[in-house]
Amino acid sequence: MSIVSVAGVCKTYPAFRLKDVSFSLERGKITGFIGRNGAGKTTTIKSMLNLIHTDSGEVSYFGIPLSGHETEIKQRIGYSTGTVSWYPRKTIREIVDVTRTFYPNWDGEAYRRYMELFALDENKKPMELSEGMKVKFNLLLALSHRAEVLILDEPTSGLDPFSRDELLDLFRTLKEHGVTILFSTHITSDLEKCADNIIYISRGEIRADCPKADFMRDCGKADETLEEVFLRLEKEARA
Amino acid sequence: MNPMLRKEMRLSALLLTYLFMAFGFMTLIPGYPILCGVFFITLGLFQSFQSAREANDIVFSALLPVAKRDVVKGKFQFAMLIELGGFALMAALTVLRMTALADAPVYRQNALMNANPFYLGTALLMFGLFNAIFVGGFFRTGYKLGKPFVLYIIAAFLVIGAAEALHHFPGLGALNAFGFEHIGLQLALLLGGALLYAAITYLAYRKACADFEKIDL
Repeated sequence: MSIVSVAGVCKTYPAFRLKDVSFSLERGKITGFIGRNGAGKTTTIKSMLNLIHTDSGEVSYFGIPLSGHETEIKQRIGYSTGTVSWYPRKTIREIVDVTRTFYPNWDGEAYRRYMELFALDENKKPMELSEGMKVKFNLLLALSHRAEVLILDEPTSGLDPFSRDELLDLFRTLKEHGVTILFSTHITSDLEKCADNIIYISRGEIRADCPKADFMRDCGKADETLEEVFLRLEKEARA
Repeated sequence: MNPMLRKEMRLSALLLTYLFMAFGFMTLIPGYPILCGVFFITLGLFQSFQSAREANDIVFSALLPVAKRDVVKGKFQFAMLIELGGFALMAALTVLRMTALADAPVYRQNALMNANPFYLGTALLMFGLFNAIFVGGFFRTGYKLGKPFVLYIIAAFLVIGAAEALHHFPGLGALNAFGFEHIGLQLALLLGGALLYAAITYLAYRKACADFEKIDL
């Protein structure tokens, strides 16, 4: 069942164009969003969060268009972006104390569980965190209000292999609880471990949107890994 | 208190902004262009906007479960809270100068603007200009602070200059009334300033919502 729909989204910048991006996300599936730097992953994600104005197209969640229903939809989705540092001089406790007031569904127990899992200290400030710990803090905010859909922009970048593995385990657990996850990455080994579906974007256009097995069958060659398929497709596109 | 105003006060604002409200005490300085106190209060607000920008405050706010216009509303509400807090202090001190200190020689011999309802009305006009030129200007991009603040400085000091000069023109001496002299005219000017503040701020808020809706973050 489709829970997120992106239909015909176009966005033109002076040096880049997102061309008619369309895809949908199924409930309880993990979708890997791959593409090289500058391919349009973040622009697509920003359009899914109404952070940018698209030239055309529509984004809807739970069958409701984002436009005009932003507040109620954002209660039900979680977003995390890599290593961005929010309020670097405030403590995590101060940031969370304010953030939780926006979410009637804030789950204090889940929050404490993830604090422990990510080994975060509430008294620390984002400026005192390593890049990997910043990623974890951003994930913590996205995970603590019972979001049904998680949109994660480069959630594993900067994490050590052990933390990455823990996070991928967490994604699988969330998936079992019916949470839908879209995560963009260029670390394709992460997708091999946990993605059900692959959306591949190149030069602002969706080149593939299918189950991972189908992607490997249709785009891959014998014995190629996902990373090798991805690299070859990019080289072919540039040739 | 709504969550967005709480966020402004606890995450986006600097302590300095609250401390700068004390510039309202400039109302008591004799022989000084006392409307400069308004400028310093707004300078404190500028510092919070600057600090919030470096903390990625606008994007953080836009990602919260609120409409984009609520981000704008939060900033305007916070600006108004500081402005009206500073104004309350200025008003209390103005009443002090109009009553207990009405005949104090140090104020009677003051060549510059007197603290009276006209002064308060002009202060409100300046706060309204800050909201329109600076806060409204900021929401045209969501990150550029310099140009709107420079434009506001120019407007603010033109108003200060005009307010200081007006009572020296023939027939306009009543603007610099002491105590309760010309109280009808004085209160009418205060009311005019309050109406201008409300109208300018409301229109600036509406325009800022429309501008912010269009920009990419």
